[in-house]
This record gives sequence, C-alpha cells and structure tokens, in this order.
Amino acid sequence: MCVKPPPPITTEPPVLHRIAARQAERARRPDGGIDTDRLLALVSATYAETDVDRRRSDRANRLMAQELEVALAESALQNLRFKAALDNMNQGLALFDASRRLVLTNQRFLDIYGLDHAVPGLTLDQLLSNSPCLSVSTADEHRRLVEEYDGAASAYGARIEQRWPDGRTITIERTRLVDGGFLDTVADVTEARNASARLAHLARHDALTDLPNRTMLRERLDEMMRNARSGDRCAMLCLDLDRFKLVNDTLGHPVGDALLVAVASRLVTLVRHHDVVTRLGGDEFSVLVQHVTSDHAIEQLCRRIIEALTQPFEIGGHHIQIGASIGVAMVEVDALDPNVMLRNADLALYSAKAGGRGNYCFYTPDMHVFATRRRELEIELRRALKSEEFEVHYQPQVAIGTHAVVGFEALARWYHPERGIIPPNEFISVCEEIGLIGAVGEFVLTRACRDAACWPDSVKIAVNLSALQFKSGTLPAVVAHALRVSGLDPRRLELEITESAMLDDTASVLKQLRDIKQLGVLISLDDFGTGYSSLSHIRNFPFDRVKIDQSFVRDLGTNSDSLAIVRAVTGLCGSLGILSTAEGVETLDQLNILVAEKCDSAQGYYFSRPVPFVETLPFVSRMHALHSQAA
Amino acid sequence: MWSKQINANSESAMFPAAPDLVIVFGPTDRLADRTLIDRLAHRYDTAMIVGCSSGTMVEGDRLDDDGVVILGMGFDRTELRLAVQPLPSSDLSFAAGAALGEELAADGLSGIFVLSNGLNVNGSALVAGLRTVIGDRVALSGGLAGDGARFADTRILARGEHHADVVAAIGFYGDHVRFAHGSAGGWQPFGPVRTINDAAGSTLRGLDGEPALALYERYLGEEAVDLPASGLLYPLEIWDPAHPDVRVVRTLLAIDRDAGTLTFAGDMPQGWKARLMRGMFDELINGASTAVHHALDQTAAWGTSPSACLAISCVGRRLLMGQRTEEEIAAVAAALGPDIALAGFYSYGEIAPQNQTAVPCLHNQTMTITLIGECA
Repeated sequence: MCVKPPPPITTEPPVLHRIAARQAERARRPDGGIDTDRLLALVSATYAETDVDRRRSDRANRLMAQELEVALAESALQNLRFKAALDNMNQGLALFDASRRLVLTNQRFLDIYGLDHAVPGLTLDQLLSNSPCLSVSTADEHRRLVEEYDGAASAYGARIEQRWPDGRTITIERTRLVDGGFLDTVADVTEARNASARLAHLARHDALTDLPNRTMLRERLDEMMRNARSGDRCAMLCLDLDRFKLVNDTLGHPVGDALLVAVASRLVTLVRHHDVVTRLGGDEFSVLVQHVTSDHAIEQLCRRIIEALTQPFEIGGHHIQIGASIGVAMVEVDALDPNVMLRNADLALYSAKAGGRGNYCFYTPDMHVFATRRRELEIELRRALKSEEFEVHYQPQVAIGTHAVVGFEALARWYHPERGIIPPNEFISVCEEIGLIGAVGEFVLTRACRDAACWPDSVKIAVNLSALQFKSGTLPAVVAHALRVSGLDPRRLELEITESAMLDDTASVLKQLRDIKQLGVLISLDDFGTGYSSLSHIRNFPFDRVKIDQSFVRDLGTNSDSLAIVRAVTGLCGSLGILSTAEGVETLDQLNILVAEKCDSAQGYYFSRPVPFVETLPFVSRMHALHSQAA
Repeated sequence: MWSKQINANSESAMFPAAPDLVIVFGPTDRLADRTLIDRLAHRYDTAMIVGCSSGTMVEGDRLDDDGVVILGMGFDRTELRLAVQPLPSSDLSFAAGAALGEELAADGLSGIFVLSNGLNVNGSALVAGLRTVIGDRVALSGGLAGDGARFADTRILARGEHHADVVAAIGFYGDHVRFAHGSAGGWQPFGPVRTINDAAGSTLRGLDGEPALALYERYLGEEAVDLPASGLLYPLEIWDPAHPDVRVVRTLLAIDRDAGTLTFAGDMPQGWKARLMRGMFDELINGASTAVHHALDQTAAWGTSPSACLAISCVGRRLLMGQRTEEEIAAVAAALGPDIALAGFYSYGEIAPQNQTAVPCLHNQTMTITLIGECA
C-alpha cells in the first residue's frame, strides 16, 4: 500500500489575503513582531463587518424577491387584462418577430381565419395553411390569397382588401415594429361593404319598386352615348298612370304603393332585358328602349303597355282599374342629349293626356313651341300678380219676374300690358297648374267683396271658386278675412263651385263648405248639367242656388232635350227650395221660356256683358228705373 | 510644481519648499480647533490655506479617521485666487455658486476646486450656479464637507477661520496648469423600477405612491435607527423616462421623520424613474479603479506627469465597506504610483465632470479623482 507523503513543512512566509496582510501590517510592533491583541481585534472587526454585509444582502435579496413577486403578479394580471382586451377587439391581430415567426395572435384573428389555435414560431404561410376559410375553393386560390396577403401587406401601411371564397370581405394591414417584427391587423368588413353596396343600390334605385331611378337612368344614357354607333336609335317613353290619384285618395297610400309595385312588375315583363324601366317619381315611369328598329315597333310597345296597365289589378282585395298615357321621344343615339330627350318625352306625354286618357303620342317640334309659349305665360302670370295686372268685371244677374238686379257674378280679367284684356279661360287653368290659383282667387274674392259693399243691400255678389282652392283647407279663413276687411254682410256673398270640386277629397271639401256656410255665406252649384249632374251632390250639401249651364240655355227653343233638362232642374230646385239661375241668356225667346219654366234669375248678354265696377251702380239704377216704369 | 501630502500630527514632516496652496482635510472637531488653525497659519504663512471636515481622510494609500491630512503644493507658473461665499441655507446654493463664479471669473481661469459645507447645500444647484458664470470650459471639481456617519456638523476652513455655512473655491489661473478628472461609482441597481410621484427640489416624499421613508426603513431593517447615515447604503439611481440612457445617482443626506421626507444631495424631479442601488465590495473597488484610470488617460497629452491627486469619495462607500474601504484607496494609489501626492476625504457629495460629456455636475456615492499638474 502506498501512502501519500504529507506536504513538506516550509519556512516560507504564508501568502496572506490582502486584508490579512494589511491587518498584519497594522498590528506590527515597532520591533517587527505582531501585536496579537491588535491583530485579533482587526480580524474580529472584519468578521463583524462581513456578517453585517451578509445580513444586509440577505435582507435586500429577500425584500427584492418579495417586491418582484408582487410585481410579477401584477404583471401577470396585466397580461391577463391585455389578453382580454386583445381577444375582445373587433380586429384580428397577429404579431411576428424579426425572423417573420409568429409571436402571438388574438382570439379574433383565429376566429376570422377559422383556426383552433396558433403555435408561436410558425411562419404566416404555415399558420394559414390550416385555415378552412381560405380552403373553401381550390388550393390555388388558397395559395393566391396567402401570397397576396403576405406580398401586399409587406408594403407597410397599405391596406389590402380580399374577397374570400366564403363570401366575406377582409382587410389586412401590416405595421412595422421597432424590433424588426411586424403586426398584422385583420378586419372582417363584410357587413360594412354589404351596407355600402346596399347604399349604392339605394342611391340608384327607387326604394318602393326597386326600379332604377333617375340617377341610374342618367348613367345608362351616358353609357349609351359613349358606346353610340352611327344610325343607332333609341326611344324614351314617359308614362303616367291614369286615375292613380283616385286610388291613393280613396283606398289609401298603402294600396297606392302596392299598385305602383305591381305596375313596375308588369312594365318590366314588357321590355327587353337591355331596356331600362325607371320610376321617375309619383306615378311617372319611363322606359328607355335601345336599338330601335322602327317607329312601328315603338307604337306596338306603347299599345302593349297601355293594354297591360289597363288590365285590372287585384290589390289587397280591391279590384283596381287604371290606365296609362305615354309620351315618346325618339333620337339618334349619337345626337342624344338626356335632358332634352326626357323633356321632349314629357311634352309628348302632356300632349297625349290632352288628347284623352289611354293615349300615346310621339314628340314633334311644335310641342316644344307650345310648351315654350306656356312657360312664357307662367312667367307673365307670376309677374301679373306682383304688379297687380288683374281686375274684376261684373256680370249682372237679373230677377226674371221683375228684371231687378239681384246680383253680379265676379269675373277675373287680366290687363296684359301688351296684349290687352285677357279672359279667364285663357289663364285660370294655367294658374291652377302652377299653383297661382290660390293667390288669384283670393285677390278676386277680396276685391269683389270690397266692391259689393258699395252696392245696395239687395244686390249680391257671386264669386267662382276653383276646386284647387279647397286643397290647403284654409278657404273658410280666407273668406272670413275678405268679409271682415270689406265689411260686407255675409248673406250678400255667394260662392260658386262646380261639381268637379266635390270629386276630390269630398269630405274635406264638404267640411269647408259647411264652415263657410256657417259664416252666413250662400253656396251655389255652378255649370249644373255639364258634368256628373249627380243628384247625390245636391242631396249631400244644402246648396242655396243651382246655376244652369249656358249650353242648355243657348239651345232653348231649338233643342227639346235642352228644354227637358232646364225644366227638370228648375222643377227639382222648386221642390227642394233651391234658387235657380240660368246662364248665357242672349235672346228674349230664351228669357220667355225661362219665365215659363219658373226659373228664378238669369244672366247673359241679353241683359249685359260683364262690366267694370264703375258701370255696376249705373246699371242697377237703370234696371231699377226700367222696373219702376214697367210697374 | 511640487506636491506633498503630510500628516499634521507628524511634526517632523516637512514640505520641500514653502507651499503656495495648502489643502487640509480633518475631523470636524479638529478643523474647528483654533490651535490647529493658528499653527497652520503660522507654519504656512505665505500659502493659501483651504480645507474641509470629514469623517475619514485619504492619506496616501491609507485611510485615517482621526488625523488631519495636509496636501501642500508649490506652483511655478500658476496664479491662485480664493473666493468664499456664505451658504446658510441650501435654497441659496445656486446664488452662492453664481457669486463664486463672479468672484473668480477672470482671464486665464483654468480650473476651480470647490469645497462646500456638507449639510445646508444643494450640490446640483451650486454647480449649476457656478456654470452659469464660468461655462463648461473651466475644469470644475471638489466636494461637500463630511462628518462621518454623524451628519451633525461640517466645517470649511478658509481665510484663517472655520465656518459651518460657507462655500470656498480656489481658482487656478494660467496656461500651464492642467487638470484631469474621473468619477465612477460601481453601485448596482436592484429591485423594481419606481416612479418619483411626490418630490420638491431635493426633498423626496413618495415613490410609487408609497412613503419613501417607509421603503428605506423596510430595506434597512434594524439599521433604520441609524438614518440618515445608514441610508447611504442604498443610494437611488434616477433618470428622466424621456432620456433613459442618462442616469444619475442620488445619495441620502437627511431625513425628517415628522414630515416623512428624505433629503438627497441633489434634485429629485417628480415623474422621474428611480431604482434602489447597492454596493458589492468588489464592484465599488473596481469603480474607484475605473475613475483613476479615466483621469490618468487624459494626462497622456500633458507632456508631463500629474503632481497631485485629490481623491474625494463618498461617505456611503466608507460606511458600506468598513475596513475594506481602504482597498479602493489602495487601488487608486497603485494606479497613480509613488510619485503623485495623494490626499482626499470622504464627502457628502462629489463634484467633477461627467466621464462621457465632461460637463461638471454633482455626483453621489462615487469615487472622484482630480489630477493636477503644471506644464513647462
């Protein structure tokens, strides 16, 4: 057995730790020896200092560990909060490091791509390889979408938009990060895009019928013009439903709306797929017919449309019969001006309606002349109202038995600065169309009441009302105002309405008539015998007077039918206690027949044509004198 | 130029010639000793005598807690001027610094060595005040007087008197005098990063919404009774979150238990980040070595060797390292070699240019080195 020898004892001084060496130096006595007590004190102090230092370190380490534990717990909590915030974002997030490896995704990213989970460290390609959403179609399509994503998103800050095979629309945006990695933000914008598409559709279609609207029609016309070939013709049909308003008024707007939808469906079935049926508004439609081969073809189409729309509609249990009028403008496509084309078709429609319902009419240049003239008239009428060019003339009404003047009928006159006096039949209808009738009517009523206040109490004033004056519902107030400012006794005012005024919105008209009658004003039924001549109208409202239309009076003595009618009306009035007045008496023979038929009063050229106000009182006096002489 | 460091107790120690400048470091009671002052004035009657108190003096490669260390210097081509300004309250620090600058500013001013009372002073403001007058091209270093772990009374010796409330500065004039500086701490930040949420000037009340005094008491444990001295064991590293690369160390100077505040030797800007630091012996000693080498590297361009080294270290290092503090001085002395006179003290705050920017500022918990030489 071999025993390792002990290390040799050396006499070399030991290699001391530098502290020990310094302590030894400090404890050295002047004689070179060591002061043991001093040395031990120094060594002991060093141990003590080391103990203190160790205790400080232990304490500091323990406290630091505690603080870091708290900080870590807070950090973990913070991470949970961040994760919750990220997972509840509307956008999907995927964070990649500088080597293009996945760091994390939020739940929304997984949801959008239909992934169960995402393993950190994957490349984008690997991550998306399992996405079922991209794999609905072919592998090629899947690859294309991933490549487009990675390629296009690499242009930092640029947002790309993808339409996925499953129908969704997805936007992807990449943000560069300071560490060289990147953050992809993915959003499902399908709903927003669909909403935009719906908005875009609504902007170009009619909300009720879903037919194209004016905007889309205009686009199609522009497109046609761009692609125009020489000699190519097109036709614009403007059509307007007959009696639609009556449906709306009597059956209500829901039925009216349903009718418009049904009309739209019928129209669409009548045209070729490249023709454009548009709802222009209200009950107006248009049909743009492309590649027109002949006028005859358009005429046939018009007839087909009118026939189809004349067929009854069954809507909500109602059997509805309407019709249509059509105006047509034909043009060469390369000379097409959309505004002019629509205007011309509209003028032709106007013309078609003027010729009676259920008609179609092609535009001709003279329509434009007529329309221009009418437009000038409109402008002049508005000016006339402002510059007070209207005047009122009065036609006397005479008691048949006594020849005493019992009243005057007020008749509007237009003193045109260039064309002289214009009679009402040349401008009242235009006033009605352009909405001036209210103002003109009020002017006539006010002036007539004021003038009548100057006549003897026995003389009444009759003023005609247009059916349109009932529209606003303010007529009773207008009448009351005219009476108030003139001081005229209401019982001296007679308002004349025609039967047609009773046809529209009958309830409202009747209510206003009753209100006016309540004021003490008398109400006459004008032009009786020409229109509906409905006895129900006479029964529905307590008229004070019926005026027999001049067309019957004119034929008295020559036409036995007219006599029969006059006799029936005066007889009816007599039985109901209603006064009767004959209009348009021109001869003594006519007057004598009316005397025989016990008509109450008459007016006409036999007595006097309408006269200015200044001539009214002299006429009353003259007739009074005649009457006195006769007596 | 010559320099020599001697111990006042050693009557036999002599300077080679009558010194132009005598810098004295000693315990507070010794510096306030009239006899000593008179003896120094008598012995070095032609010299400018300036000094300050400290708990521990640097005397060559040794430390001395009791003795008075005297560094004598003789200059051949350098003029000296002394400026003294009252500094009764730390609020006046900036004004005092500016006034010193005004007193010393003159053609040829090359460097300033400043010694301030250590308790009623905001060192940052003092330096800022000086810099507003002298700019950044004049070398500026020095320190705040100390009182060991007592923090009770510090003294400045100037113009034959000892003062508790003044700041003194020596101006060096001429083209021949040279300065080199280095400073390093070696302290390591640890624990969580905190935010200064309640502070005003150099007074700190809250960190992360918690009373800062409570934090120190927790970390100090049983040593908390020795506050504020024991607070030096845990300086604070602070930085502006907008400039996280520029970090400064703040050392604790005083506490007010009633107000719950801590006063540091420099500004504690609200909103800045703060982290506790602690010293490991070896790291601190390495720090001292780094500081002296940084300074020595600058002297290569002088064409002559430095003559004197003023080593001003922080009292916190002394408290932490105990007997082993001497090792950092030994490291400095070893780097300097035997021919450079080495003297210094353990201070309540060190003033020296920053290593990177050379802009003078207040340092805490560092070893700072000022090398002085004179070229031909």
